[in-house]
Amino acid sequence: MSASDRIEIDPPYDYPPYKSTALRAPKQSLIRIAPHPLEMAGPSFPKAFVEESDADLTTWGKGAPLGEKMILVGRVTDEDGGPVRNSLVELWQCNASGRYAHPVDQHDAPLDPNFLGQGKVLTDSEGAYRFVTVKPGAYPWKNHPWAWRPAHIHLSLFGNAYAQRLITQVFFPGDPLLPIDPVFNSVSNEAARQRMVCSLDLEQGVEEVALGYRFDIVLRGANATPMGV
Amino acid sequence: MIVRTPAQTIGPFFHVGLKWEDGNQVALGSTGERIALTGHVYDGAGAVVTDALLETWQSDSDGNVPAPGSAAKVHGYSRTATNDDGRFSIETLMPGACRGPAGEAYAPQLHVMLFARGLLKAVRTRVFLAAPDAIKDDPLARAAGARVTTLIAAKDAKDPKVWRWDVRLQGKDETVFIED
Repeated sequence: MSASDRIEIDPPYDYPPYKSTALRAPKQSLIRIAPHPLEMAGPSFPKAFVEESDADLTTWGKGAPLGEKMILVGRVTDEDGGPVRNSLVELWQCNASGRYAHPVDQHDAPLDPNFLGQGKVLTDSEGAYRFVTVKPGAYPWKNHPWAWRPAHIHLSLFGNAYAQRLITQVFFPGDPLLPIDPVFNSVSNEAARQRMVCSLDLEQGVEEVALGYRFDIVLRGANATPMGV
Repeated sequence: MIVRTPAQTIGPFFHVGLKWEDGNQVALGSTGERIALTGHVYDGAGAVVTDALLETWQSDSDGNVPAPGSAAKVHGYSRTATNDDGRFSIETLMPGACRGPAGEAYAPQLHVMLFARGLLKAVRTRVFLAAPDAIKDDPLARAAGARVTTLIAAKDAKDPKVWRWDVRLQGKDETVFIED
């Protein structure tokens, strides 16, 4: 895969519709060099780094959080289709009203005393992960007039090599806010953009309890860079 | 080949999910010279960036990949958010020099990834923990040319254990970033 192919999949740094890029996007060309030996390896997270309860965001409080309970499942693979095993996946999100349990988020929506919005798991021997949570709400932001972020869940992945490190967002199918979201639309490649939309997968849910959604994740593969990372 | 999942910004609220207890103190499971790296992150207007997340990955003191983590600790990796002054600080062991597959001489360095609101994908770079004349054969130092000065940490005048290094996302003395 060439460098230009990679640029089409990831968003650019400089993307005027997302205003915060203006003063933060690097302007100089990136340096292209062979990977350092350490970049082909990555941190190895011991089993005790996560606890079983870290995968269920709905049991953090004294009672159940408000909102539509959902299960997020998926498989982490690389571009060659191989499973990414025993790899750390971290999740954070706002509550069902669209409010983050974060001091910087002061917009007019209620906090939920039973929802913190953080989770983590290690992928299993097939690269699979599973979280129990509630569907996050949409929320307004100040990027442009009438700006609202579509419902989304943040995911952080380590893969099995430093070169695979990824932070991305999970969006929901059919959300009418997707066409106006500059963050989502910063990815110009249609197939890559659709990679960030989960799909309804009822049978991964719990009948009469929770909706199931599937979100498979593809990290950079062994043949993915010109330098052969 | 399957289409890979694109990066998206970390946004301003990542502290909710990405806080690691003592994340700025690197465990390695081996011994070595204790050091600290501290600095600020600046935007293109010269303002401090108070909502960045900085991660580092490094070799052990012998230049090898760190041993796998044990108990609840990961080895060789740090994660820290910048504070209200745009400052970060990590404590670790001095990484060793090492050789690449073609015999390239890599100077002691930390691999650095920085995430922030306004960065749709992370920026990647490396910081050298060595005197300028000790890095001249390093592949990145060669590729960076005159801009290599943005990648060299400076020893603190009062405390030789402390190294100082700032990240400038944009503008004069913009830090050298690496294509991933």
